[in-house]
Amino acid sequence: SENQRLFTNAVIRVQRLHQLAAKMINDFEDSLLPEERRQLSKIFPLSFCNSDYIEAPTGKDETQKSSMLKLLRISFRLIESWEYPSQTLSGTVSNSLIVGNPNQLTEKLADLKMGINVLIKGSLDGQPNIDDNDSLPLPFEDFYLTMGENNLRESFRLLACFKKDMHKVETYLRVANCRRSLDSNCTL
Amino acid sequence: MRNSGAVLILTFIAKLILQAAGVSPPGKPRLTSCRSPEKETFTCWWEPGGDGGLPTTYALYYHLENSETVYECPDYRTAGENSCYFNKNDTSLWVNYNITVVASNALGKNISDPVEVDVVYIVQPNTPENVTAVVVHDEQGPFVRVSWEKPRTADTRSGWITLIYQIRVKQEKDEKWEEYDAGMQKYYNVFSLHPDKECMVQVRCKPDHGFWSEWTQTTYVKMPNYIPRERSLWILITIFSIFIVLILTWTLNVKRNSMKLCLLPPVPGPKIKGFDKQLLKSGKTEEIFNTLVIQGFPPTTDYENLLVEYLEVYDNEEQELVLDGKELSEDFMKSKSSSDNDSGRGSCDSRTLLLEKCMDGREGSGSDQHQYSQHGETSWASTESSESQGAEPGSPESTDGRAKTWPVVFPQPHHHYPVGAVKPAYHNVPEILNQLSPHATPSNYHQLHHQDIPQQELRFSKSACRHSQSYNQFNLDSIDTPAPGVPPLPSLEYVEVQRVNPENMLLLRPLSDPNREPERSDCTGEDYSKVKVVTSHNILLLQRDTSHQCVDDYSQADQCTTQQPPHPCKPAVHQWNSVMPQEGMRVMGNGYVDSTVLMPSF
Repeated sequence: SENQRLFTNAVIRVQRLHQLAAKMINDFEDSLLPEERRQLSKIFPLSFCNSDYIEAPTGKDETQKSSMLKLLRISFRLIESWEYPSQTLSGTVSNSLIVGNPNQLTEKLADLKMGINVLIKGSLDGQPNIDDNDSLPLPFEDFYLTMGENNLRESFRLLACFKKDMHKVETYLRVANCRRSLDSNCTL
Repeated sequence: MRNSGAVLILTFIAKLILQAAGVSPPGKPRLTSCRSPEKETFTCWWEPGGDGGLPTTYALYYHLENSETVYECPDYRTAGENSCYFNKNDTSLWVNYNITVVASNALGKNISDPVEVDVVYIVQPNTPENVTAVVVHDEQGPFVRVSWEKPRTADTRSGWITLIYQIRVKQEKDEKWEEYDAGMQKYYNVFSLHPDKECMVQVRCKPDHGFWSEWTQTTYVKMPNYIPRERSLWILITIFSIFIVLILTWTLNVKRNSMKLCLLPPVPGPKIKGFDKQLLKSGKTEEIFNTLVIQGFPPTTDYENLLVEYLEVYDNEEQELVLDGKELSEDFMKSKSSSDNDSGRGSCDSRTLLLEKCMDGREGSGSDQHQYSQHGETSWASTESSESQGAEPGSPESTDGRAKTWPVVFPQPHHHYPVGAVKPAYHNVPEILNQLSPHATPSNYHQLHHQDIPQQELRFSKSACRHSQSYNQFNLDSIDTPAPGVPPLPSLEYVEVQRVNPENMLLLRPLSDPNREPERSDCTGEDYSKVKVVTSHNILLLQRDTSHQCVDDYSQADQCTTQQPPHPCKPAVHQWNSVMPQEGMRVMGNGYVDSTVLMPSF
């Protein structure tokens, strides 16, 4: 069905975003000088990510217990939280990744957000969209923009958080997809 | 201060004692790896750093990235020695764990370096299960179908984890494994396997973001013995073509020579007649050049032999011109003569050839002439000597057939010829006649007159030929005194031998009036019947010529001018050009064209 197609499409898109995020941080780590690597190891534990305030399941059981709508909504919020900082993100990585359009990442995120929105509407299936605090403006919107000093550390943190969030969304969407219909990806 | 100092000293001493005893605090442990098989639980392993001789205990502590609460490892046993197992409840995804291990013994403890772990990124699934490989017989040929199952712990059904598989195949006695990616499916068909060989198969899997699992245990399958149908056809074709190629090769080999001729026709090499390449290679230049010298070329017949003592020209009924050049040549062949090329020939002088006719004696010549004929060379030589004494250029050696010497003579009128020198000297007859003009004799002979020539018998050819009329040009005696034996000449036409060429050809020119100046007679453009050429067959070719005949030098006009009045020469030169006989060209044996024949005959 159309919904199924959209779901599959959304899963593919977020998978690509996750792969992109992984490559970005790998390239960043490879380009570091040895002394910078030492410096980087000291920043662990990582400081907060912007998406930490978003309540999201952190385990399989928790995820399995969450409804599809909840998963979709969380995914939507996660994607939305990165829509604005992605512009800064493009600046931290080499241009080889983002060829041509520097806003490519932002556009992808926007598209995915729209798709998830469609899926949400579809799963709502006529029901009113009862969003509790999802539509609230994101706090700490300027979270990533406040970094001034120590760009190295902040850049790395930015990249790490992006990669993690993308993986989250991918996982949630996959689970939602497989729960919805026994896709070939799920049965195998 | 004292206490601290005392403590320090005591500690130091204690350490020394302990070191002497061989015990020490534990070494630093190290976390080797942390792995999660299904993205739900995970396990960390460490290695001890040395127990220091005392029983050491290890403890693992961790805290999450966003809290300071330190927890200790919940399970040290499940995963085995030196491990810590985190169950589902203790595992949180997308959270960094800061894990450290502390080793402690009676003397102290040691803390490992912290490790940051995010469970999501340390997933390494278990190996696939139930790997089976069966041979499937197909019309194309048999192949092996490998199938397996996912590891039990991986939850792919709910989409929690996504696995991709990889198999590898190796046939017996192969060195390398062949790897194939199977994607997310749980089966794979392996083609291109060799028949009658055992196959080994292994499978492994990987999550979309994670590590590869270990390879499964080897599964064996035996390929049946079969011959692929396609292959048999190709084998037949190959054998057939090889057979054809062999036949072609053999045929080519047999016909090798004719093929060579056909494809590579022999290129004729340059050849010079008489040229020996081997001789050239040997490097002996003398021999080479000797080979180049064609025997008999240039015609080096002794010109002396061609000297004719007298020439009999028969007019009227006995117009029998007999030329016996050959006899002459035989006689005089013995004389040495250095052969020159023909370049010197063709001086203006005209030779008077005495053609010997093979007849007995001369009519009216008398015994004197016989005597003359007996002398042959010797007389000639003596004549020469006598002539040389005279220092006259007009030595009567015109019988010598050597035209080459003639030019030599004239520039050196006082040249003395050594006695016995066979080299003849020819004089320009006109000149001689000029000089001798005052001595013109009434004799009918046109002779070279020499003033100082004693009355010697001129030489005659040995075989004195009969001549009805002795035409002794060299009868010098007759200059001063009438030749005793010289009969009065009837009205005959006298032919003056202009020259003798190597082929014993007498080039004659007739003399209209023996009494008059030869020179003039030569120059008057009267109609003479002249001997154009004397062929080797002793045939005189007469030619009626109306032009000046004076010049006989066709190639050396300058000599003519020096020796004769220019007037006869010049027109003769032109004349010569006009009367150049074409048929007079004679090709001699070695391809040498005798241009002497081209001399104008007057």
